[in-house]
Amino acid sequence: MSGADERKVSSLRELSPAIEPARDLWPQIEARINAERSTAAAALPRIARARAVPPRWLAAAAVVASVAVGVWIGRSVLPAARSGAGVESPLSASRATFADAPTALDVAYVSDPRYQRDRAALMKTLQARLAALPPPARDKVMASLAAISRAKQDLENALGKDPGNALLQELLVNTYQDEMRVLTDVHEASDPGRGI
Amino acid sequence: MGFSRLAAAITVLFASAAACASGDKTFERQVPAEAHGVVDISNVSGTVAVSGWDRPEVSVRAQLDEGVERVDVSTDHGRTTVKVVLPHSGHRGEADLHVQIPKDSELTVSAVSADVTTTGVTGLQRLNTVSGDITAELGGSDLELKSVSGNVKLKGHGQPARLHVSTVSGDVHLEHGAGDLEAGTVSGTLVVSLDSARSVRARSTSGDVHFEGKLARGADFDATSVSGDLNVRASAEGGYAYEVSTFSGDISNCFDATPSEHGHMPGHKLQGTRGDGAGHMRLKTMSGDVQLCDRK
Repeated sequence: MSGADERKVSSLRELSPAIEPARDLWPQIEARINAERSTAAAALPRIARARAVPPRWLAAAAVVASVAVGVWIGRSVLPAARSGAGVESPLSASRATFADAPTALDVAYVSDPRYQRDRAALMKTLQARLAALPPPARDKVMASLAAISRAKQDLENALGKDPGNALLQELLVNTYQDEMRVLTDVHEASDPGRGI
Repeated sequence: MGFSRLAAAITVLFASAAACASGDKTFERQVPAEAHGVVDISNVSGTVAVSGWDRPEVSVRAQLDEGVERVDVSTDHGRTTVKVVLPHSGHRGEADLHVQIPKDSELTVSAVSADVTTTGVTGLQRLNTVSGDITAELGGSDLELKSVSGNVKLKGHGQPARLHVSTVSGDVHLEHGAGDLEAGTVSGTLVVSLDSARSVRARSTSGDVHFEGKLARGADFDATSVSGDLNVRASAEGGYAYEVSTFSGDISNCFDATPSEHGHMPGHKLQGTRGDGAGHMRLKTMSGDVQLCDRK
């Protein structure tokens, strides 16, 4: 408002109660609302489907992925009891009792040559490391490794009956981690340069 | 009188002769040390006994058998190192070490089959053995302990600290601890008594876990095992929400709560709240039995 249109307003009553737009805006607004509704309706099934995925399946998938990583890491440092390489030791003999039957989790990895190579190499290392331990400690470590192996077998058997059981999956991951800890401890304990 | 003197003299003579014949040697050395310095001790076989004192020096006394080459004691920039050196031939000699250190020192002990004992040390302790047992007094500072097959006994005075304890097959007994505990074993037994715990994480494969004590308000308690039993008697200021899961084990409790079953699948679950539910208690096992109680 400027120039000739300018006038003084002394009271609100002097103002027009409504200012009509120069043109009817409703048709455009209505069209836009309808367009947004149809877009939202088209997108809704996808969102609903995404939201309908049960969180437990996501969690289970994450756990299974963790198990797979655990298997990979854990198996990578385990003695290759099935390789047939090297001298048969009480350890490899004890491992043979649980390692002969590959589980579903094993199958994805045993065919990987890099995995096989690493596993065989680490098997030799583990035996040497065990040999460097005092005999009573060696016996106890072997008994503990056997306990871990039994635990894994039991867990995998139980998972065979109840594959979606998050408790068993978590405990299996824990067991692989514990096995890694034991192998690391044995490695450090027998390191002549470092000691445990 | 004359006979007894003669007998005493003969005894001393024989003892000296035996010591000479066995090749045992004694070693003593004192070096200045900082009150809050670092002390590293290593010994393969024998014993290591460490005690804290108020003097700014490290004192080493040792009894060495013939298989030990020497004991090195050195100090540099606040770090004192005590090392039992064995010959490269692989002969395993034993040494019994008695080491006194400034009580606020940061202490590291590494041993293979040597038993380790610490008393009166109030600084951080790192204690590692392969098959040697460890007995340690907790002085209010953190503790990092690792043993393969050695048994562990820890005694605290209720002062909060961070305690990390792991064994492969060794048993762990902890009394009057406080603060944060992380304990793991494969086949050893964990017996833990805490005066006041902020967080507890205990993990076992086949060993049993026994816990007794008080949890601070809002504390977290996690214990898992594969086949070991979990026996927990924990009271807590403000109570706690509890969740107990087992695949094939039994669940019992002292507050008459009834475990539920997972439909047609095997497994039991018990959950609920005690008091205000300020803390969290999670107990999980595959085939172990679980006992939970919120009073001693």
